[in-house]
Parts: sequence; structure tokens; C-alpha cells
Amino acid sequence: MKTLDRLAMPVRVFIVFSTLAGGFVRAADEQLSVDEIVNRTNRTAYYQGRDGSAKVLMTITDSQGRTRTREFAILRRDDPAPDGKDDDSHCGNQKFYVYFSRPADVNKMVFMVHKNVDREDERYLYLPALDLVKRIAATEKRTSFVGSDFLYEDVSGRNINDDTHELVETSQNYYVLKNTPKDPASVEFSHFKMWIHKTSFIPVKGEYYDKNGDKYREYSAEKVETVDGFTTVTKARMSDLKAKSATVIEYSNVKYNVNVPDDVFTERFLRKPPREFLR
Amino acid sequence: MNPGHKMVVYAVKRPWKMTAAMAAMALVLGLAAALPTISPQAFSFLHPVNVDTDPENMLPADQPERVFHDEMNKEMAIHDMVVVGIVNEKHPDGVFNPESLGRVFELTQFAKTLTWPSEENPGEKVGVIEVDLIAPSTVDNMEQAGPGTVRFEWLMQAPPKTAEEARAIRDKAKRIPFLNGTLVSEDGKALCIYLPLTSKKLSHRVYQKLNEKIAGFGGDDQFHITGLPVAEDTFGVEMFKQMAVSAPVAMLIIFILMMVFFRKLMLVISPMIVAVVSAICTMGLLVATGNTVHIMSSMIPIFIMPIAVLDAVHILSEFFDRFQETRDREKTIVTVMDILFMPMLYTSLTTAVGFGSLALTPIPPVQVFGIFVAFGVMVAWVWTILFIPAYVMLLPARSLDNFGLAQTGENEEHASYLGRMLPKLGIATVRHARAIMLGVAILTTIAIYGITKIQINDNPTRWFNAKHPIRVADKVLNSHFGGTYMGYLALEAGGGQDVDVALFARGVLERISKRRAEIGDDVDSAGKAFSALSAKAVELAPKAKSATGLLDELKAFGQTQYDEAPDAELDAWDEALLFIDAERDRGEVFKQPEVLAYMNRLQEALLETKVVGKSNSLADIVKTVYRELLTGEEKDYRIPETAAGVAQCLITYQNSHRPQDLWHFVTPDYRKANLWIQLKSGDNRDMSRVERAVAKFFAENPPPAVLNHHWFGLTHINVIWQEKMVSGMMQSFLGSFLCVFLMMTLLYRSALWGFLCMVPLTVTIGLIYGVIGLIGKDYDMPVAVLSSLSLGLAVDYSIHFLSRTRELYPRYGSMSAAIGTIFGEPARAITRNIIVIGVGFLPLVLAPLVPYKTVGVLIAAILFAAGFGTLIILPAAMALVEKLMFPKTEVCCFVCKCNTCILTAASAVALVAVNVQSFIAIGWTTLTWISIAATVILAAICYYASHREKCLIARDGTIEEKKDENSG
Repeated sequence: MKTLDRLAMPVRVFIVFSTLAGGFVRAADEQLSVDEIVNRTNRTAYYQGRDGSAKVLMTITDSQGRTRTREFAILRRDDPAPDGKDDDSHCGNQKFYVYFSRPADVNKMVFMVHKNVDREDERYLYLPALDLVKRIAATEKRTSFVGSDFLYEDVSGRNINDDTHELVETSQNYYVLKNTPKDPASVEFSHFKMWIHKTSFIPVKGEYYDKNGDKYREYSAEKVETVDGFTTVTKARMSDLKAKSATVIEYSNVKYNVNVPDDVFTERFLRKPPREFLR
Repeated sequence: MNPGHKMVVYAVKRPWKMTAAMAAMALVLGLAAALPTISPQAFSFLHPVNVDTDPENMLPADQPERVFHDEMNKEMAIHDMVVVGIVNEKHPDGVFNPESLGRVFELTQFAKTLTWPSEENPGEKVGVIEVDLIAPSTVDNMEQAGPGTVRFEWLMQAPPKTAEEARAIRDKAKRIPFLNGTLVSEDGKALCIYLPLTSKKLSHRVYQKLNEKIAGFGGDDQFHITGLPVAEDTFGVEMFKQMAVSAPVAMLIIFILMMVFFRKLMLVISPMIVAVVSAICTMGLLVATGNTVHIMSSMIPIFIMPIAVLDAVHILSEFFDRFQETRDREKTIVTVMDILFMPMLYTSLTTAVGFGSLALTPIPPVQVFGIFVAFGVMVAWVWTILFIPAYVMLLPARSLDNFGLAQTGENEEHASYLGRMLPKLGIATVRHARAIMLGVAILTTIAIYGITKIQINDNPTRWFNAKHPIRVADKVLNSHFGGTYMGYLALEAGGGQDVDVALFARGVLERISKRRAEIGDDVDSAGKAFSALSAKAVELAPKAKSATGLLDELKAFGQTQYDEAPDAELDAWDEALLFIDAERDRGEVFKQPEVLAYMNRLQEALLETKVVGKSNSLADIVKTVYRELLTGEEKDYRIPETAAGVAQCLITYQNSHRPQDLWHFVTPDYRKANLWIQLKSGDNRDMSRVERAVAKFFAENPPPAVLNHHWFGLTHINVIWQEKMVSGMMQSFLGSFLCVFLMMTLLYRSALWGFLCMVPLTVTIGLIYGVIGLIGKDYDMPVAVLSSLSLGLAVDYSIHFLSRTRELYPRYGSMSAAIGTIFGEPARAITRNIIVIGVGFLPLVLAPLVPYKTVGVLIAAILFAAGFGTLIILPAAMALVEKLMFPKTEVCCFVCKCNTCILTAASAVALVAVNVQSFIAIGWTTLTWISIAATVILAAICYYASHREKCLIARDGTIEEKKDENSG
């Protein structure tokens, strides 16, 4: 389960619903296993629809209140299920294409990820001003995404097999999962907790704890909308409590099942962005 | 009858009352400081003892340089750091072996835990700032990972298991310019980890915890903990040691000396009581008024105690000589006080003035020190006048039976060393007056030459003695690394977009057509969109209020066009919008390649100073990233050709574990940059040299954009307060000299006497400073401070000498006749004073901190030299100008002496000018003209006043003689 990732898109149903609809009818007293909760959350957070696109405005506010923004478009395409079923239940490999438009001096910069469930991801960076395509060695995923408080792993989704999961609390609206890394030396946190909405399986809150057991990082979903029938987080915040900085991302123009061709996610298209999907 | 007579008689009649009053004063002031310190809650309305070891406080909090320093520290997120240097001299790879790096890793992990809940802001943590911690396991490495691939990783994610892995960590760190010479030593043997603190007040806690942890490590590694916060903190501890050791030792030594002089325990105790009371009252008042205990103010007790007993030494000396004449202690003490009252008043006042003149120095701790010692001196004077006579009355009558000269016998007195030597000395001075004055002239010449050689310099690290762990760490680490002293140079883009709108609009139009030409046919309908944009810009420009406003309106226009454009024109409008946003970012000066190249040239120029071991800048970061993005080879260690290239290198750099690191070097608007400059020496002199080199570089190399440069960082703050100290000390010395001279002229009603009074101490102080210049001792804070305050102390000898001479002279009629008597009791008392005060300061040599030692040695030297200088120079000088000093007719009235009056007026004006200049913003030129005018007016008044008939009668006895004089 991944972090509450944000750059990915869809997410389904939510608290909003419980209020709006006067209480979403939950499968009464259904007892889900931890694995089922983890899997459904993963699907909701990263795999809604066959593909998707969105425009993103990212605002980074540092400890002194100074802000910087980045604007980019994001394309996602899931590998089809091996059995050919198109019911959105397959959570396999995916591809992301992130096309930057602002600040003006990073316009046309592209970051591309081939996310692999069973091996290391492949990551590419295109820097137009230097006319340079670089592969980024994937040894380290917990680095900042373009200077924001979100990490690469938040963007592409942390592999659910990297952690052990435990259901520590079930409240009226949420499952609270505690996720502990199987290889503690590979990450900077000791564990993280996620609050998952019971009916929508949207992660609405996340808290990361350092090796001293202190909370140092916090995620929250701040706005949820339904797009093309998919409940989608359209505004989210990640705060770094140690650096005292925070990043807010806002999605607009969210679309699902736009039929992005697979070859868009190749090196060739880094220099030649598929404009029709990026508007 | 002098005004003191009544005071003394009053005290003598009510000894218990006096004692109680003094005890009450000490108790009240002592408790006012002690109670809130012991129990801050119960006495929250009082100020507890507050120790201040922060060198920044050498400048007032509102000093512009300091305000800027604080602002930039905040803006660039620069914190005070504890530095842990790890050196291994035994292993061939230094600390780059698995065991040592394992310990470094463990220590780093441990350091991350050194945080505590904040007392001021519940919920906040204070302590080590983990995100800015610099250690092998907390910094990033960026390197090639096969063809076309770049890797970001922790430099040392986990401790290495093999020697190869350990060396690989060293080699990686050495390839990264930011780390080489900072984290890893240039020789590849040593490491430094840097622990930034939320507040330097926590450094002691962090320091102790680190030491505990390190104590548990085995192996051959040496750990050196240093850094300014640690130094400051240690300073506080040593300061109390100084107060706890030096002050009591001084007390003891003074006590022993007094016992040797007077051999009467019961009597000797009284000045000791006065000294302790004065010290308690002064420190109590210091704390109670909310002042901090600083390196300067911690010396207050040790200054007050020897000074406080000086007057008592004179009283007891005189009492000692006279008591057996009458064996009536009341009569004796009253007589003694009558004789000594005026000299004691003046010596105390001049001493207070000497210290008080430090208030003219624009350095708050020095001001506080001066003012409070002045206060303490006057407290000591009051209680000497009131309590000592009272105390004498309280003694059991028979305890005085065997006290004094008659009892011990003339013979014995003459047999004492002082008793035998002093009269011989006196006679010799008068006999060889010309030779002595010639010697004085020669010494003065040497002194002036020496003073011109004085080298102004200070270095707070050198306030510790050479064996102190902090000095050792300083030496070891500066030999391995680029330097542990940080100076910061802020570069700020001038101008900005608040330029002339019309001019800016013309530039925009030019750039629109240039961009249009670049795009050519690559984008459909680009011509149409850019033409529309151009037309809109022409239309908006005359109405726009600012460049930013113009761009805002253009952006709104472009956005509307984009939103409404048909598909075929979308890309064109996209380009147009991009162009507008790029225009907005034109103010990001520190993304411009030529600006970065300029910074690099500046850094190279800095290295030529030899003081700078290394510097880090945004340009170095950009070059490092660019190198790794290209081939990783040295040839690609350069700045990209375009601002966009720079921007893309920087955004790549921010894809690291520590994106915030960038903001230590530049602000997010890219209009301010910060150069980190590592100096191998913390000497102010060296920092000044670097600052001059930078000023010269800017003068000779105009920057490619308007760039203002300003220094910040503690090394710069030190330079600023030192400059203030030097000019301030000149003022303070001048102020104290003029004030003392005025007082002397008034006391003796003669400018000549006043002038003579100043001669011995001016010559000796000049000589001591000349020697300092000649032997190359740095003119640092303690040396500077002593010049003006020692003036007020040293003049005491002259006052006593001249007062007694003036009193004795009429009895003998000539210097050569009087000299034997003058060099009897008066000279003995002066000599005792010289010894008491000189030796009284020597315990400062025992203090563990160098400034205290300097103060101890220097003030003892000044006071010995000035004391003996007085005994030699004054009689010689007086013998030469005897006729002028003792005119046959005595003038009744001060203003009748035209020259004295004019000189007094001139020095009074100068004194006022010096004070006014110090406290009111007024130029020296204006002040000089005002002063000259005032002096002329006062001189005229003096002239008329001194030519009044009354004066003429007084001066010449008859009006006839006056008429002769006028006609002549």
C-alpha cells in the first residue's frame, strides 16, 4: 500500500459521501482481512480506470512562508491484466509521464516512470535546456519529487510488498493501518499509519514516524470530487514537520480512460510530448 | 574645614548605625540578585543571574550589521553549529575504515536523537536540527551509474562492511566540491560532522551528550568537538571559575599584603569588609537591574576589590603614623580624615571617571563594565569614609595599644626597606631632574614609535589558552580542513523590475519579436499570437504602473486568448503564455550563467588571500550537477550556457533527499545568494583582509548584473565590533583624559598642576602600549579597554603625591628641602598602594581564559609603571618648574588665572564635544566648528574675568603694579 499518493489520481468514494448522502450504506459488518483492505486501498489510490490524465498545480511553502509553484501535466497508463479482464481489479505495472510547463525555465521537462511490481522501476528524466535524456538509477525512491515534500515513492506508489501491514484500529469511518518496512535500513521511517475510509477505501490521512518514534511527516486529502464516476482526491497536502515545509497539490482537468497509447511512455516521446493528451 | 569633616564626625559618633547601614545595603542588593537566581518562581519580579557569552552581544541588538546578520541567518536558514571532527592518525586510511565509519554512523544516529521538548513553545522540539545535519549518512551523493544513467543516493546509507566500501565513501565525498574540505578533509583522512542547533543555548547539553556517547567508543579515533556554540558555552563555565578562583585569591593576597604593611589583624579586616561590601553591592545591582554577566562584567569584583582598599591604605598608613602621638583614636582618625578627604575624593572620582569613560565605547558589555565599576568605586569611597572611622571606634581600646609608628619605633621604621630606599630615591630624582626628563623624552619617542606599530586584532577562539580542548580542536581541524571559521557573503540583485515601465515595455517588445523569430514555423499560428501579444503590449504599456503590473495584464490577456483559441492556435498561445512567464522570471538573477561565472571568479580571488581555505556557492552546486548529468568527468564541471539549463540542473539537484539544502545558498526568488567562505583563521585581521579583497574584486570587476554585497556571520560581526572598539576607545581615552585633566586643574586651581598630574601616567601608559606594539602583541579587547580605565586609576598616585607636596612645600620652601619628607610617609603610602593594586590584579593570571590573563598582566604592568613613574617623574619635573608651580604670591581665585581659565574652558568644550559625538548623531566637522566658536567665546570671558580689578589686586598686591604691567 502505498502511501497516499497523490499524483496518481483516482480515488473512490469518501467521507464526503457519508455526510452528503446521509450515510453511505456500508456492507454491514463486513469483516475484511488486512490484505483485502490493503489491496483495495492500493487500487483506489493508484489504479482507477485503465489510464488517466490531469493537470497539476504544486505549491511548496517553506518554513519561512516563501512559496514556489510547479505546474505539470501527468499521464498514467496501467498494463492490462494478463487475463484480459478489464474490471480495474488488476494492480500490476504502470507507466507515468509527467510533463512540466512552469516555471517557464523548466518548460518541456519530462519525468517518466515505468513502475514495476516485481522488479526495480525505470525512471527517465528529460532536460530540454541541456538537450539531455538521463536514466535515473532506481536504487533510491525516497528522494524529493522536484524539491517538494512529496517523494518519488509517493508519486508512483510504494510497493505494498515492502511493508508488513497491521490493522490497529477500526473506527466508525476508518480503518487505521500500521505499515512497517520489511527492510528498515532502506527507508527513513520506522513505520507509517494510514487512515482509510471504510467504504471508499480512500486514504485520507497518513502519518510517518521516525526511528525515534516521533511523527515527522503528515499527509492529508483535502478535497475529493467524483470524476467520470471515480471518486478522486483533487487536493492533497504533505507536510514535513522537521523541515517545517508543506506542499499542496491541486488537480484539475482530471480525465479517466482517455486511451493513451503505450508508446507515449517511451524515450522517443520525451523530446516530443504528446500534446493532445497534455492539455 | 572640608565637607568631609562633618561626615566623619557623624560616623565616629554613631559607629553601630554606620555598620548596620552598610550591612543593610549589601544585604538588600545581594539578596536582590541571589533570591531570584535560587528561586526564579517565587521572585519572578526580580532578575536572576543571566550569563551571556554570545560574542554577538558585543554589538547592540539594533546595530544595523547585527540586524542584517540576523535577517540573513534566518533567510538563508544558517544556524549555529556544533562541529565534531573525527581524526584517526593510526589507520592508513584515516577514519575511512569500516570500524571508524561505523562509529561515525552510530554517533550521527545518536545526534539525531538530541532533541527535547521546547520550554517556550510546547509541542515544538529544540536541539539538533536533523534536516540540516551534515554527516556521511545524512548527505546525498550524486554520480554516474553506467552510461546515460545518474544515481542519487545517501553517501553512506549504512556503515561499510569492507575496507573498499569505506574508501569508496571517501572517494565519492571527495568528488563533491561541497563535501570536499567540509565533510571530508582534503587529505582524505579525517571527517567532520556538523550539527546545527535550534538555539546555541543548547550547545552545552549537546556537547555533554556527545562526550558521553564518545566515551563509550573504542578504537583509535580522536573526536574533537568544537564550533562556536561550544566555545561560548565553555566560556561561560570558565568565566565562573575565574570569578570563583581569581576573586578570592585576589582578596587573600590583598589581605596578606595589608597584614605585612600594618600587622594588625583587627584593623586590616576593615578595608577587606569595605571591599567585599562594594563588590557585593555592585554585582547585586548589576544583576538586579537585569544586566548580564558577560566576559567583561565578570571581572567587576576583581577590579573593585583592590581599588576599594586603596583609600583605606592611605587612612591606615596615616593613622599608623599618627596614632601614638596622641593615643586618642577619635582625634587621630578625624585628623587623618581631614587631611585625606580631598585627595581620596578626587582619586575615587578620577578612578570612577576612568571607568565611566568606557560608556563612550559603543560596545554594550564594555559600557556596562565601566559604569558598574565606577559605581562600585564610589560605593567603596562612601563606606571608606563612613565605615572605617566607625570601625576604628568599635575596636576594643586596648587592641590598639601596640599599633603604630611610635610603638614600633623610628629606628625600625627607618630600617624597613621602603623606609630606607624611598628618601634616597626622592633625593636622586631632584638631583638628576634633567637626566630624568631627558630619559622621559626618549622613552616617549620610543612609545610613539611602538604605538604606530600596534596591530589591531582579536579572535574569540584564542580567548582559550593553547591547551584547551577547543584550541586543540581548532588547530587539528584547521590543519585537515578548508577552515572551520565561517564567513558569509550575501549577494543581492539590485534594481529588479521596478524599473521604468516604458523602458521595460520596449524591452518586452524587442524580446517578443526575437522569440517570434526563434519559433519560426515550428508552431502553427505563432505569428498571429505573437503579433496580437505585441499589439496588446503597446496598448497596455502607457497605462501600466509597473513592470509587474504590465506582465500581469499581458498574462490575463494571453490566458483569455488561450482559453478561447481554436485547437490550431492552442500551441501558439501556449508559447505566448510561456514567453510572458519567462519575462516574469527575468529577475531571477542567480540563474544567469554569467552571474554564476562571476561568483566563481570571486571565489577564486578569495583563495588568493591564503586565508580562505575553501568557499561554497550556488555556482559549485550547479557545476557539480551538470558534471554528473553529462559525463561525470572534470571537463564537464562547468556552468550550463543558459539560465534554463541552470534551472534544470537545480531542479534535478532538488530531486535529492535534501532539497532544502539549496536555500542555504540562494533564496527561492533567486535574487539573493549566499557565499559560504571557510577561513582557516578566526583572526579579525584575517577576516578584514578577506573583506578588503572582496571589495577590491568588486571595484575592479564590475558584475554582469547590479549586485550589492554585504557580509554576515560571526567572523564579520567580530570585525565590526573591533572597529567600533578601536574608534570608541580613542573617544573613551580622550574623554577620560580630558575629564581627569579638568578635575585636576580644578583641584589644584592651576592648569600647570593639572598638566603635571597627567604627565607620568600618560608617559607610562603610552610606554606600555608602545611595548605592546613593539613586541607584536595583538591590540585586542582587553588591551583596548585598559587604556582609558587605567588612566583614572594611575592618576591617583599623582594626586596623592601633588596634594602632599603642596601641603608640605610651604614648610620647607624648596623642593630639595621638602623632598626628604615627601618621600617619607606620603611616598610610603603611595608605594603601598602601588603594591596592593598591582599585586591585587595578578591573580587574574590564574584564570583559565586568556583575556583575563592579559588584563591581569597588563593592568599590573600599567599600575606598577605609572606608580613608580609618578615617584620618579613628578619630583624631577617639579624641580625643573619649581618657580612656576610655587609662585611667591598665591592667587585667590580660579578665574583670575587667565591661562588656566582658557585651558580649562577649552578642555571642557572638548570633553562635551567628545560626549555629544558619542551619543548624538552629529558630524565631526559641524562639531569642530561649534567647539571652536564656544572655545573662543569662553576664552574671551576668561580674559575679562581674569583682568577684573579684584583679580589684579589679588595677583599683584597693588593696583600700581598692575598699571605697570599693562603699560609694559
